[in-house]
Amino acid sequence: MAIPLKYNVRNLMVRKVSTGMTVFVICLVVTVFLFVLSLWSGVTRTLSTNASDRNVVTMRVGSQAEMQSVITRESADLIRSMPGIERNAEGQALVSPELLTLVNIAKQDGKSTNVQVRGTSPIGMQLRPSIKIVDGRMFRPGTSEAVVSKVLPSRIANVRIGDTLKQGSYRWSIVGYFDASNSAYDSEIWTDVADLQAQSKRPIYSIVYVRTPDRDSAQRYIEAVKGDQRLKLEGKTEKKYFAEQMVTGAPIKILAILVGVFTAIGASFGAMNTMYAQVSSRIREIGTLRAMGFSRRSVLTSFVLEALLLSLIGGILGTLLAFILFNLVITKPTGTMNFRTFSEILFNFRLTPPLIAGGIAFSLAMGLVGGFFPAFRAARLKITTALREI
Amino acid sequence: MKFFRLIWRNVFRKKTRMFLTTASIILVLVLIVVLVSLLNAMEADPSGGRGANRLVVQHATGLASFLPLSQRQRIEQIPGVVAVSPEIWFGGVYKDDRPENFFGQLSADPEVFFDKIFDDATIDPAVNAAWKATRDGFVAGENLVKKFGWKKGDHIQLRGTYIPVTLDLVYLGKYNAGDESNIFFQNEYLNQAKWFGANRVTGIYYLKVGSPGDLPRVTAAIDHAFENSDAPTHTMTEKQFQAQFMEMMGNIKGLIRWISLVILFAVTLIVANTVAMSARERVTEISVMRVLGFRRGHVLSFILSESVLMSLLGGIVGVVLAKFVIIPGMVKGMQTTPMAPFLINFKVTWQVLLAAFGISVGVGVLAGFVPAIRSSQVRIVDGLRQVV
Repeated sequence: MAIPLKYNVRNLMVRKVSTGMTVFVICLVVTVFLFVLSLWSGVTRTLSTNASDRNVVTMRVGSQAEMQSVITRESADLIRSMPGIERNAEGQALVSPELLTLVNIAKQDGKSTNVQVRGTSPIGMQLRPSIKIVDGRMFRPGTSEAVVSKVLPSRIANVRIGDTLKQGSYRWSIVGYFDASNSAYDSEIWTDVADLQAQSKRPIYSIVYVRTPDRDSAQRYIEAVKGDQRLKLEGKTEKKYFAEQMVTGAPIKILAILVGVFTAIGASFGAMNTMYAQVSSRIREIGTLRAMGFSRRSVLTSFVLEALLLSLIGGILGTLLAFILFNLVITKPTGTMNFRTFSEILFNFRLTPPLIAGGIAFSLAMGLVGGFFPAFRAARLKITTALREI
Repeated sequence: MKFFRLIWRNVFRKKTRMFLTTASIILVLVLIVVLVSLLNAMEADPSGGRGANRLVVQHATGLASFLPLSQRQRIEQIPGVVAVSPEIWFGGVYKDDRPENFFGQLSADPEVFFDKIFDDATIDPAVNAAWKATRDGFVAGENLVKKFGWKKGDHIQLRGTYIPVTLDLVYLGKYNAGDESNIFFQNEYLNQAKWFGANRVTGIYYLKVGSPGDLPRVTAAIDHAFENSDAPTHTMTEKQFQAQFMEMMGNIKGLIRWISLVILFAVTLIVANTVAMSARERVTEISVMRVLGFRRGHVLSFILSESVLMSLLGGIVGVVLAKFVIIPGMVKGMQTTPMAPFLINFKVTWQVLLAAFGISVGVGVLAGFVPAIRSSQVRIVDGLRQVV
């Protein structure tokens, strides 16, 4: 027969301070763990949002990032005649040769950072239907106008509508904000490609971005590019391209595991201490329970349950704390360096349901480890010695 | 001090409890040493803090733009400049695309590089001479050499990313410096590869000035000279140049600091809880001691010393374990993970260990404070009456 759960709840309540401290420790550990994990999940999400497998990025063979690639105008023209490319209502091929560069510009806090500038065209906008101008208007070709992601002004100086962004020989008037639904494009500045070529004195393209009607056509296009000896280019679906950028998030994940493992063991030791103290101060009680007919197994279960309860409260509080932190305290996007492009990518902390479940499971694991050995000791007590204990 | 045995005995009274508490202090200290050392490795100062009078010239718009090589002569003529070397970040792929095989690959001018500019690095003169004489040779930081196990005469192949050529290089020897995560090869070798910028452009200029006092003047003179040219420059100290990359990781840095603080707080709570529990269990005993003539102050210092002693033990074991067992093992185990590039300059310095040790004492004091005061305030009659 099982010992009622009420017994455990009341016991935890009697030792308020000790219980409270242990719960708080578990809560902090869970928060820290979720914090690092959601950082990783934020980066991953940014790099996978809206990445399509119908859009193909054409780059020079061996390039790891769009910016590293170089494509001549002649090659870009050849690409227009490749198979598998979709056409819009006006019959234009959905091909956007683009030029990328990096500018080192000032942040709001006075420091500086590297931001990716994309020279594109109205077609480039059509190719990415999820990206929309939400304020102001689209840039006009040939006028040194640019649009920026709507999240950029919170981090970068001089990129509000109406501002002029100057850096070295570059100069752009900001005329609009676009919304790329927190994808990687939301860390960029977009301008006219011919204009960027002129300003940077580089009459070339970095990549050619192509839209295809379906996955099969995308593969057909990729094969055709690969097979063309004149080009020395390769095509990657947008999805694959961004998936390759995810190495940027890998060290964060390792950090999360490192911090998680160390703090979890430490916290479960703390919980174990509390549970041992609970057991040793209740030896007579345990003897009585056993004398009343509760089996060793019931005592074991009861103490393990008590530890689980303790850690569960900690886990729930920790998740709540993380939730409050991400939704009320850290509302601005955070940035980290994309090691492939040397530019900053902006992202939001993401507390996803799997992460929440992970956090709770993590706390229960601490409770299980912390509770098992003390419970085992309690269960092994001899009734006679236990009852004799003062 | 004469009560040391009493305190010692009390610490070891409940062995399991003492072990568990010390173990959690150890774990947290090791973690903090790892995190702080990781931060230090990311911020590694290439000169090891010694050479402050070096400047880096990059294109004003940022690293993605090249500078014309014609600027070199103009810079060399500026009074105060000792030597200038063009440098190109090759950014090639070694072996395969995995991040653990990533390291810095730079081309430089061997005639001046180690002799006049990067002169706080130590390199065997014979190796330096061989580098000057071998067109396709390279030298590498010792940590990097150890990581990949390169031997003299080994060939490596680097597949270019933004520079579309493949380099075949021969390992000549090592150098030692604050940052040992890079290899250097000759500018000439890259020029021979006939890429689009060969003999025409460079990524940055790396230069040395005569004295630190010259830095502001030289910086201004360089930027002024090219202000209205096709390639305006942005000149900064080596430290500021490195800081560019760290700035972008800015939030990660702050994050690691916050994590360290929070887990320190958590471990303080664990220790405080332990001390409080053991003090509470000994209320009767403490009252008996008070009856025997020990003062409140004695009780306070006993409990506080117990807490500090326990943390101290954790601190000593933690620091020793961190330095000699856990961290070397971890660094080895992570060589094949994406974390590897950060570990090339990873060093656990004595300063960090000392700080960790100091932290453990601090944790002990903080944790012991409240329980110590509470036990010393208990009235003898109440204490004797209390049934635990």
